[in-house]
Amino acid sequence: MPLGTLDRTPPPFFRQGASALSRLMLFSALALFLMVADTRFKLTGPVRVTIASVLYPVQWALVQPVQWSRDVFQNLQSLRSAQDDAQLLRELLRLQSPRAQQYEELALENERLRQLLDLRQRMPTPGLAAQVLYDAADPYEHKVVIDKGLIHGISAGAPVLDASGVLGQVTRVYPSMAEVTLVIDAEQAIPVLNTRTGVRAVAFGDPSLHGGALELRYMGTNADVQPGDLLTTSGIDGIFPPGLPVARVDKVERSVESPFAQIYCLPQARVDGATQVLVLPSLAGQQPARPQDAPARAGQKSGNGKGGAR
Amino acid sequence: MIMRPGQQLLLPANPLFIWGSLLGAFGLNLLFNMALWGRAAWAPDLLALALVFWGVHQPQRVGMSGAFLFGLLMDVHRGSVLGQHALAYAVLSFCAIAIHRRLLWFTVPSQALQVLPLLLAAHAVALAVRMMVGGHFPGASLLLAPVIEAMLWPLATWLLLLPQRRAPDPDANRPL
Repeated sequence: MPLGTLDRTPPPFFRQGASALSRLMLFSALALFLMVADTRFKLTGPVRVTIASVLYPVQWALVQPVQWSRDVFQNLQSLRSAQDDAQLLRELLRLQSPRAQQYEELALENERLRQLLDLRQRMPTPGLAAQVLYDAADPYEHKVVIDKGLIHGISAGAPVLDASGVLGQVTRVYPSMAEVTLVIDAEQAIPVLNTRTGVRAVAFGDPSLHGGALELRYMGTNADVQPGDLLTTSGIDGIFPPGLPVARVDKVERSVESPFAQIYCLPQARVDGATQVLVLPSLAGQQPARPQDAPARAGQKSGNGKGGAR
Repeated sequence: MIMRPGQQLLLPANPLFIWGSLLGAFGLNLLFNMALWGRAAWAPDLLALALVFWGVHQPQRVGMSGAFLFGLLMDVHRGSVLGQHALAYAVLSFCAIAIHRRLLWFTVPSQALQVLPLLLAAHAVALAVRMMVGGHFPGASLLLAPVIEAMLWPLATWLLLLPQRRAPDPDANRPL
């Protein structure tokens, strides 16, 4: 009976169940089991999907007023700012239209050249437009939730773009939602190509740098990287199609102590305010099979199989 | 029954209201996340506060199993490691049950001060889990979250005890 209330219930037949401490032990063990199953063995997918399906109507109902208020806010924007936006977009279109006109011709030329040289054809990738519902609330990661999921044909690993560049990658799919890990997340790495020099590198997310940035790791101090270089996807990962802008080099620090240069890049996509995104189908299934015996032989030669990339 | 000095005799708590308030706190958490502050580290966890409150006031109704299940819901919504919030809330609920006989003898501001270490411990559990799994430290503003939650304790006490403060038999003079 709680202290100081009029609660009157007969005392339970068995005075106590399991003690609080033993219950804490039980639940801690259960939580630890879930964590290990989730992070190491990836067994908890069905549990997550079940809970997410239960949760989805609640989330949907709660997100509606948020979206209405956003719409109302956008409608209340002044005519002036709308005109400014239109002016800006016209300017952008004027800059982009010559390149867009050349695109058809270049694509055709590229196709012919590739046929001539007997190279693999680049596949055009149809995208699926999606809307960002909200930022996932986990402060330890950088993720957003989009409104398309399994039933729309989205699979884990699919690349996600916004209007100006690569935003991230789908990492978890629910029936009608998906979680997208942003390129600035610490767990995210993306193979890039420096468009000025053609050098390939891997860009790692580094959220601790002034509100989210990327870092090019393992580039020697003498590497030819300058601030302002545009990094695009290189396409060698078999996930991101080549040529999508990822980031621009912001700062290069070379120190005597370290054999590597510290290269900071700013993401091209709007990682903190993207609303409309494009999900490309994952190219994972379209790659040619890897040669089976090559890694084995390499392993026999070197003797140690160090896994490098995450 | 030993009454605290100056304490009002309260009506029995309605289980529907208890679970409704927990669901409401969960919904508010969701709403604030989606509408206002995104993934800010200092965002107060209202569900944790509600769980401590009912763990202290009604330890026989709101136990660790309820806290654990709500933790799983939070984990799925926030996209964090499954079990992270469940563990934090189970610890929170255990601490609330451990101090429930003692806490209510103090004044409300003093209660808030004593609830602060509990909330701090719950956030520390979540932080430890994430550091082990390999996340990045979200910044010192994480420390602000338990402080804000503790500062909301008087509000929670006022709001969640309202139904129990009504008169036992309403009549013309006492409509509530």
